[in-house]
Amino acid sequence: MVLREIKALRKEKTIGFAILIQFFIASFSSVILLGIMVYYDPGSIGQNAQVGLDVGVLGNTKSNFVTALQQRNFHVIAFDNATRAETAFKNGRLDAIVYIPQDNGTGVVDMKLVLPDMDAQATLVLMLLKQPMEQYENYLRTRDGVVVRYQDVRGKPFTTYEFLYTIIIPILMFFPAFIAGSMVIDSISEEVENKTLDTLLSAPVSIMQIAASKIIASVLVGAIQCVLWIVLLGFNGFSIQNAGWILLLSVEVTALVALVALMVALFFRDRERSQFIYSLVILLLFALTYFISPSPFALVARLATGDPYVGGLQVLVYLAMLAVLVAITPLVTRKLTRS
Amino acid sequence: MRLRARFGGKMVAAVVVLLVAAGIVSFLVYQQGMVLAKDFYIVGVSPDAPGLPDQRFHVVPAAAAEGSALLKSRNIDIYVTASKIYYRGDDRSQYAANAVKTYLEKLELVRLADEYPLNQAFPLRVEINYLKAPSRDVSSASAVTLAEIVSRAKEEAASASTPSPEEVPESGPSAPATPKQAVPSVTDEVVKQQLAGLQSSRLVPEFKAEFAENQQIIIPSLMNPPIPLAQVLLAFAYILPVFFISIFFTSGFIEEKLGRKINILMSAPVTPLQVIIGKMLPYIGYSLLVVIVITLILHGNLLLALAIFLPVILFIFAIYLGVALQYRTYRDQTFFSLVAVTGITGYLVFPAMFVGINDLSYVSPLTLAVQMYRGVDITLYQYMLSAVPMLLIFVLALTVGTRVFNEEYLLSFRPLHVKVREAIYYAMDKHHMAVSTAVFALLFIPVVFMMEMGVITISFNLPRALALGLCIFLCVVIEEIAKSVVVLTTIEYKLVKNWRQVALLAAVSAVFFFIGEKLLLFMSLKVISESLFTTAVFAGNVLWVPLLVHAACTLVVCTITWKAGPKSYPLAVLAGSVLHGLYNLSLIGVFK
Repeated sequence: MVLREIKALRKEKTIGFAILIQFFIASFSSVILLGIMVYYDPGSIGQNAQVGLDVGVLGNTKSNFVTALQQRNFHVIAFDNATRAETAFKNGRLDAIVYIPQDNGTGVVDMKLVLPDMDAQATLVLMLLKQPMEQYENYLRTRDGVVVRYQDVRGKPFTTYEFLYTIIIPILMFFPAFIAGSMVIDSISEEVENKTLDTLLSAPVSIMQIAASKIIASVLVGAIQCVLWIVLLGFNGFSIQNAGWILLLSVEVTALVALVALMVALFFRDRERSQFIYSLVILLLFALTYFISPSPFALVARLATGDPYVGGLQVLVYLAMLAVLVAITPLVTRKLTRS
Repeated sequence: MRLRARFGGKMVAAVVVLLVAAGIVSFLVYQQGMVLAKDFYIVGVSPDAPGLPDQRFHVVPAAAAEGSALLKSRNIDIYVTASKIYYRGDDRSQYAANAVKTYLEKLELVRLADEYPLNQAFPLRVEINYLKAPSRDVSSASAVTLAEIVSRAKEEAASASTPSPEEVPESGPSAPATPKQAVPSVTDEVVKQQLAGLQSSRLVPEFKAEFAENQQIIIPSLMNPPIPLAQVLLAFAYILPVFFISIFFTSGFIEEKLGRKINILMSAPVTPLQVIIGKMLPYIGYSLLVVIVITLILHGNLLLALAIFLPVILFIFAIYLGVALQYRTYRDQTFFSLVAVTGITGYLVFPAMFVGINDLSYVSPLTLAVQMYRGVDITLYQYMLSAVPMLLIFVLALTVGTRVFNEEYLLSFRPLHVKVREAIYYAMDKHHMAVSTAVFALLFIPVVFMMEMGVITISFNLPRALALGLCIFLCVVIEEIAKSVVVLTTIEYKLVKNWRQVALLAAVSAVFFFIGEKLLLFMSLKVISESLFTTAVFAGNVLWVPLLVHAACTLVVCTITWKAGPKSYPLAVLAGSVLHGLYNLSLIGVFK
C-alpha cells in the first residue's frame, strides 16, 4: 500500500515540485537577506562588491574623518574652493562632498554632507558613509574624555549566520511537513470524491491501514527532502551539526502534521474545505509552538549550530507527542469514518 | 452561492473559532516580540556585566574564573564583563561576539546620554544637503549652491557661542567629562528627538519618505536606515488574502471540471469569455474589497491603492486560471499552486526589498505601495513598469483561456509541455498565422521577463562566476523557447507547408519579440535614467545587430526543428541558445 502511494507521488513528480518550491524559497530568502544587508550592514556588501566612493572634502582636510574615509578605502579629493568641488560633483566625478569645520579641540563638530538629489544613490552613499562617520564620532568622544565600551570587539557580521540558521534551515526542514499534510488531504479527498475509498474499504484492509500507508508515504517523501537539503547545504559549505537529531525531529513533525491533516480530511471529506481548515490549523499550531521552549524552529537552529544545551532529549519530547497522537488516531479515525 | 454552500453552518463556526484563536495567539506572540532565534547565542556574564534582556541570548551567569573555563570548554560562546567581551577564534564565538556587541552598542548610547552632556555624548552632527545630480534634468533639490552651503556653515560656526573660560575643561581632553562642562549646541534638540526614537521600540514599521530630508541633521550613531522589509511585508498584507480567494476560484473551476458540470456551461448560449469572466468577477470583487478595507485601515490613498493592486489581482487570477485550465487532479493543483504562490511572492517581494536603493525595484507593485505610504510621488513610467507586464499576462491568459475552453482540452490528461503547445494551437488564428505569431511574441515578453527575474534570483545561491554563466545560459534558453514555440506548434500541427513559411514565421516572431523587449527596456530605462542611457541604447545602428542575432538564432532553432522533426526541438533550442549565448558573452567582453 505504501508502495502504491509512493508510485502515485512519483508519477505526479511530487518530489520534484516540492524541491523546486523549497529551492525558490531558499533563493528568495537569499535575495531578501541581501536586501536587508544593503541597509543594515552596507559595509559588508561594499567590501564584497568592492563598492568605492569618491568623496570631495572642503574645510579641515586634515581631520580624522578624512583618515576614517581613507581607512575604508574611499577615494578622498581635497578642495580649497567650493565652486571647483561643485563642478566636479556635477560632472559626476564625486559621489559626495563633505564640509568639515576646523576642530577646536572640544565641543560639537557640525559637518555638512552634500549628496546627489537621487533617492536611491543618496541612500546608498549615506549608508556607506555611516561607518566612517561613527568612527570619527567615537574619536571625538574619546577626545572629550567620554569612554565608550566594547569598541575593540570585532567578531564576524552575524546577520547572514542568524538568518541562515534561524530562518532558512528551519524552513527547509519543516516545509516538507506542510507539504506532507497537504498531500494526505489531497489523497484522502480524491479517494472520497472518486469513490475509490469505498472500493478500498471493501477489500480486506482497514481505514487505519489505508491512512497509515498514506502517512508513511508522505513522511518518507519529507524525510528524503530533508536528507537532500542537509547534503546540499553541506556541499555549499554550511556546517549542520546534529544532522541525525534534526532529521528525526523533522520526521516527527512531519508525522504529527500528517496525522492532523488526516483527521481534518476525514472530518470534512472534500478537498476545498479540508485544505482551508488545514491551513488555518497549521497557522495556529505554528503560532502555538512559539510558547514551547525550545520551539521546533529554535530547536532546529540550535541543533544545527551545535548548541551544547540542546540534544536528543528535546527531540524525544516531540516523539512522545507523536506517540500520544498515534495512540488516539485509530479511535478518532474510526469515529470519523463511521460518521 | 457555491461559497455559501461550502462554507455555511458548522464550517463557519470552525473557521471563526480558528481565526479567533489564531488572532489571539498571534497577538500574544506579537506582544512578546517575535524572535525565531530564541536562546541562539550562549552568553556567559560576570556579576557586574550589563543586563542582556534580548531573547536571542541564552544568559549563563558565571564568575570570572568559571566564565573563562566555560569559554574554553565551548559551553558558552562568549563571556561579557562590565567593560569587555571575551571570545574565541571559531565562527560560532565570533558571530556571537558581533551580535552582543551590536546589542550593547545601543545600550551604550543610552548610557552615554545619561552620564554625559549631549554635546560630549554625541559630538558629531551632520547636516544633509542635496545638490542637483549629474545628468538630471528635473530636480526637487533646493536651488542653493555648494558655496552657499559652505558659507552658511562658516557663519553658523562664527555665531555659535564661544565657551567662557570656566566652561572649558581645565585638565585637557583625557579628563572625564562632567555635566558642568556642558556647552549647549543648537542641534541638541535634534539629538534628544533621535534618542527618544532609539529608546522607544517601534513595533509597527514606519513609512519614511527618505533616509534623510534636505537640511536634516543626523547623528551617525543614532542614524537608522529605513529597512523596507517590514514595510514590504505590510504591503504584502494586500496580496495574501488575494491568494486565498484565487485558490477558491481555482478549486471551484477544477471541481466543475471533475464533476463534468462544465459541460453544461459549454452547451449553454454563452461565450467562453463570458463563462470565464463570470466565474472570475465575484472573486475579483472580493479581492478589491480586501484592498479597500486594508487601505482604509492603513489610511492610504484609496484610488491609488486600487490602481496599484488591480493589475496584481488580475495577474494572480491569470496564473490561477492557467492552473485551473491545465490540471485535473487535486495533487497537481496543490503543487502547481504552491509553485505559483512562491514564484509570485518572490517576484513581488524581491524587487521591493531594494526600494530606494535600485530603481528597478519599480517592477514590483509593492514598491509603489511602499512609496504611496511614504508619500512619494509615483511617475507614470514607474507605474507602467510594474502594471503593464501584469496586465499583458492577464490578456494572454484570457486570450488562450477562451480559445482552449472546449471539452477535449479541459478534460484531457497530457504532460504540461504538450498542453502548452495544444493551447497555442487552439489560440492561433490559422488564417493569419503571422499575425498570431507576432501577438504571441509580444505577449510572451512579460512571461520571459518574470522567468528571467526568477533565474537571476536563483543564481544568487551560486558562486559569482558560475552564477553569471548559468544566468546567461538559462535566460538565452528561455528567450529562444519563447521565440520559437509558436513556430514549433505550427510544424507539429502541420500548419506550415514549406521552409519558406517556417522562415517567415521565425522572422516575424524574432522581430516582434525584439520590439517588445526594447519597449520594456525603454520603460525600465525611463525609470532608471532620464536621458543618457536611453539615447545611447536607442540611437543609430546599434539596434540592427541584436535584431539580426535574434532573427538568426530563431531561424536556426526553427530550421533544425523543420528539417529533423519536432522531436529534435530540444537540440534545436540548444543550438540556437549556444549561438545567442556566444553573442551575449562577446557583448560583455569575455572574448577580449
